[in-house]
Amino acid sequence: MTWPLRALLGPMLWAAAFSAIYAVHGLGCALDWPARPAPVGDLHRFALISLWLASLMGGALILWRMPKAGDAGGRIARAGGWIGFLAILLTLFPVLGLTTCG
Amino acid sequence: MIPPRPNPPQNALRLHRELDRVWGRPPGLRGFLSSVNHSELGLRFMIAAFVFFAVAGMLAMLIRTQLATPGGAFLDTAHYNQIFTMHGSIMMFLFAIPMLEGLGMYLLPKMLGARDLAFPRLSAFGWWCYLFGGAIILLALLAGVAPDGGWFMYTPLSSKTYSPGINADVWLLGITFVEVSAVAAAVEIIVTVLRMRAPGMRLTDMPLMAWYMLGTAAMMLVGFPPLILGSVLLEIERAFGWPFFDVARGGDPLLWQHLFWLFGHPEVYIIFLPAAGAISTILPVMCRTRIMGYGAIVAAVLGLVFLSFGLWVHHMFAVGIPHMALAFFSAASALVAVPTAVQIFAWIGTMWQGRPQMRLPMLHLMGFFSTFVMGGLTGVMLAIVPFNWQAHDTAFVTAHLHYVLIGGFVFPMMAAAVYWLPLFSGCARVKGVGEAAFWLILTGFHGTFLIMHLTGLLGMPRRIDAYPDNPEWILPNLVSSLFGFVMAMGFALFLLDLLLQVVFGSRARRDPWEAGTLEWAMPMPAPSYNIASLPLPGQTALDLARGEGMLPGAPRDRRETLVVEALGGAPRHVAVLPENTLLPVVTAAVIGGFVLLMLFGFYRPAAVALAAIALTAWQWQGFMGCRRDAGPVEVSPGLRLPPNWAVEDGLARTGLVCLLIANGTLFACFLFAVGFLSVIAPNWPAPESGPGTARAAIPAGLLLLSLLAASALARLSLARGASAALLALGAALAAAGLLAAGLDDPTRHARDALRAAGLGYVVLHVGIALMLALLCLVQRRDGRIAPGRVSAWPVWRIWQDYTLATTAVLTGLVAAQEVLS
Amino acid sequence: MSSLAPAGPAAAQIAVLWWAMLAGAVLITLMVLALVWRGFAAPPHPRPGESFWIHGMGLGFSLAVLAAVVGAGIWVGERLQARPDPEAIRVEAIARQWDWRFRQPGPDGRMVETRGRLHIPAGRPVDVVIRSEDVIHSFWVPRLAGKMDALPGRDNLLRIQADAPGLYHGTSAEFSGTGYAGMRFEVLVWPPDDPPDLTAEEAE
Repeated sequence: MTWPLRALLGPMLWAAAFSAIYAVHGLGCALDWPARPAPVGDLHRFALISLWLASLMGGALILWRMPKAGDAGGRIARAGGWIGFLAILLTLFPVLGLTTCG
Repeated sequence: MIPPRPNPPQNALRLHRELDRVWGRPPGLRGFLSSVNHSELGLRFMIAAFVFFAVAGMLAMLIRTQLATPGGAFLDTAHYNQIFTMHGSIMMFLFAIPMLEGLGMYLLPKMLGARDLAFPRLSAFGWWCYLFGGAIILLALLAGVAPDGGWFMYTPLSSKTYSPGINADVWLLGITFVEVSAVAAAVEIIVTVLRMRAPGMRLTDMPLMAWYMLGTAAMMLVGFPPLILGSVLLEIERAFGWPFFDVARGGDPLLWQHLFWLFGHPEVYIIFLPAAGAISTILPVMCRTRIMGYGAIVAAVLGLVFLSFGLWVHHMFAVGIPHMALAFFSAASALVAVPTAVQIFAWIGTMWQGRPQMRLPMLHLMGFFSTFVMGGLTGVMLAIVPFNWQAHDTAFVTAHLHYVLIGGFVFPMMAAAVYWLPLFSGCARVKGVGEAAFWLILTGFHGTFLIMHLTGLLGMPRRIDAYPDNPEWILPNLVSSLFGFVMAMGFALFLLDLLLQVVFGSRARRDPWEAGTLEWAMPMPAPSYNIASLPLPGQTALDLARGEGMLPGAPRDRRETLVVEALGGAPRHVAVLPENTLLPVVTAAVIGGFVLLMLFGFYRPAAVALAAIALTAWQWQGFMGCRRDAGPVEVSPGLRLPPNWAVEDGLARTGLVCLLIANGTLFACFLFAVGFLSVIAPNWPAPESGPGTARAAIPAGLLLLSLLAASALARLSLARGASAALLALGAALAAAGLLAAGLDDPTRHARDALRAAGLGYVVLHVGIALMLALLCLVQRRDGRIAPGRVSAWPVWRIWQDYTLATTAVLTGLVAAQEVLS
Repeated sequence: MSSLAPAGPAAAQIAVLWWAMLAGAVLITLMVLALVWRGFAAPPHPRPGESFWIHGMGLGFSLAVLAAVVGAGIWVGERLQARPDPEAIRVEAIARQWDWRFRQPGPDGRMVETRGRLHIPAGRPVDVVIRSEDVIHSFWVPRLAGKMDALPGRDNLLRIQADAPGLYHGTSAEFSGTGYAGMRFEVLVWPPDDPPDLTAEEAE
């Protein structure tokens, strides 16, 4: 895989995770998932946290499998991996504790 | 890649004459209308953008005059509403985007070592769409029917019930017309940056400006379609009553907000990135050094391009969305400041490692630093949800957006104008006026907008025209208005400075800023063909002028440039580009006719105009391809490359992939609209579907089968299956017609409107597939498709697959809706 | 109407957040301008390299500052959520082009409708149910709390609370056409031992 494509993997995973979690959040409020019990509290929080952890693992996997950065292209690809992982961590962490549906 | 060998030197003047004859255009009106040259078109974009800036600036002066006193006796409210709506709309759509497009179009081929952009006729078409669309909007202002619902046109205010006049339609149709030009520019920029670089120029060897423009263009491809979809849906709702945003019939005004801001937030980063590219180009030259952190900056651009699509709900923090969702967007909005900070500190680091000189472009860059950083910080404040709940829709936001737009776009663009004017015009500066203009603008700007943060926190909302009950707002508003006039004087002086340079300036010397970069390695003003030969690494401007690079001159009496492989820049084939033609202006005029017919409500003639558009579009294929084998072209001693019609992965295919990314985004937004309305909108579920699933299943099945057949036929080599595919596509259209006849009344409920709209999307794509299949048939008959020449076949094949995929998804969606309900 | 003169707990918390962010923003602006100026005036030897500028400042410094600010914002946001409270009173705000109607409990407990003026008791949380009859408007009393939009077809909830009795000014904060600038209202906060005689006021 060429380095530009590798660079895009992390950010694209973040885009997919962000869309999925925002969509599941909206769907869960509309379908009243907070009223249904599940591990970690209710079905809504369980679904959101599961999606988040899965995305984090995906992001970590992308970083782990990234070849060692040799030239400028390799460094940019690696940076892309970090961007994806950190973005998943730092933009979607609210699934952990915030009020789900208000 | 084995480095190609240089060509033997020739007489530079003879080469110039040969190239100018082939690449130039006749003087006078005919030449003006038929030019496809990127330098001329880029300059036209920038000059027109300046004119629109002046118009919108005068509107701003009217706003500030109105707000200088609390009684608001200057304008009546209806006119005031048109004026502030037009100020925002003109600045965002008719100034900022065209300005950056023009700069990119002008500079990129020069910086990359190419002769022109990938699709010269498309460049011209984009220009005419911009001009005609902008003219429609300006004429509406002069006629007193300008849009008046705010530049973001929230529904229900902008729906037919509450905005019955033609004003909202001017915005919806006019802006969409101009956006066609933006999407066209985006496709061109991507294809040019990826495929038309100098031989051996790897992606990581490109000037940073090319990376910034690549990122910007990618954002445009994905950022404009949500607005195009929203505008089309709202116009259909206004014209035909199909409910997408009307709550009573299953629509939702929040759908408009989501679609608008999905565009609107990336829009401001689309505006910022090219300006940052200008900074990354100009600052190192002003500091006599190289930029610090090339790789980090590329990574920062990558981060910005993606993250900026995750912020849009921060414009909607007060609509009642639950806190967790708001927190996602709050965190993302803050995170996007990180790649911005990386660039800012890389620039400061560059200054520290070099020897900065305070010449006029550097002065404007200092204007950027002192303004944009403050704007970015107030942006982070606005990203914080509880604070946003107080500051949203107040003068605080107006202050913030002007800090980031003027700081982050206007100051860098002024630096760029001053820096590159010698290349545009061949003239040197007249000292003194530019410096005075800068200080007036800087003082005027901060005087106007710094205090406006306080005005907003004191409770003054945006977009009001009078405030008789709030004496505490009088002084801040008066201060803002007075300094606004100072800033306006500064901009007028800046324009004067540019005019003085162009009219009275002496001849500029080569590379006046001693940058040593490719765009300065040519005569000034830049000739129509840029460089006499395409640069190999290490060649000087003189070498290039004497034809020692690749593809010297124009010996075959046609416009040729090199196409390379995207990653490493290895030369692949020679692209023969179109000559001057009236086709772009005619096509834009026909589309303009369609827009005007829609605007004035003549819907039946508008449908006929669609046919006219199709006929005019058909003419574009006349240039494509070649009827006989022409043999490879020798670009340098021992290196022969095929011409573009003999290769499979030509520019047209790359361009089509880019276009399909934009199209696919529009489709994805449509799917989002379906999902959003079904789940979130009040007044669902819809009433029972009339004919029911069973009756629709047969035509739907026929539709899918015929498209499947067409896709299979499209795969037969050299478009052998074109004539059979025409029959399959005819059957597809018939099936779609049966489905249309069986549809429920689209005005009844949003679900029915969405189904009708989806069917319309399918019919449009099948229609285009039909035209492409017909084209392939014609090209087989006249020899343009033959062994060794593929011409339009890959384009048809890819389009056919896209049509099948989207039709299948839509059919599946409707089937799922019927089963689940 | 100043959000910087808070008269209720929500507005007060937001004001504290604002002053802290302003202080930080001023310091950061001064720091950046000083760094830029130093670029002209003989920067120190040896010159800091990419590691300092890009990793240290671009990534490290910015992430640290942003984490603090977002953390504070989310914490305050959570505290402002309207959790079930037996003390809370429910009132309604109905927006239309271009005035406000309110429904609040009268002396006998029944809902009384008034125009342009909302009556609420001091010191108690009040849940305002906000809706629109036509286009989008926004309910905003800057001295008491942030704003919440009024949309057609759905009800939004905003919890406000006033510390002390008095008259507070509010406005719509979503552009709604030619009458928008005049779409003002008032919130009359009455002392807990002196409820207003609403049936008389209703006639206004």
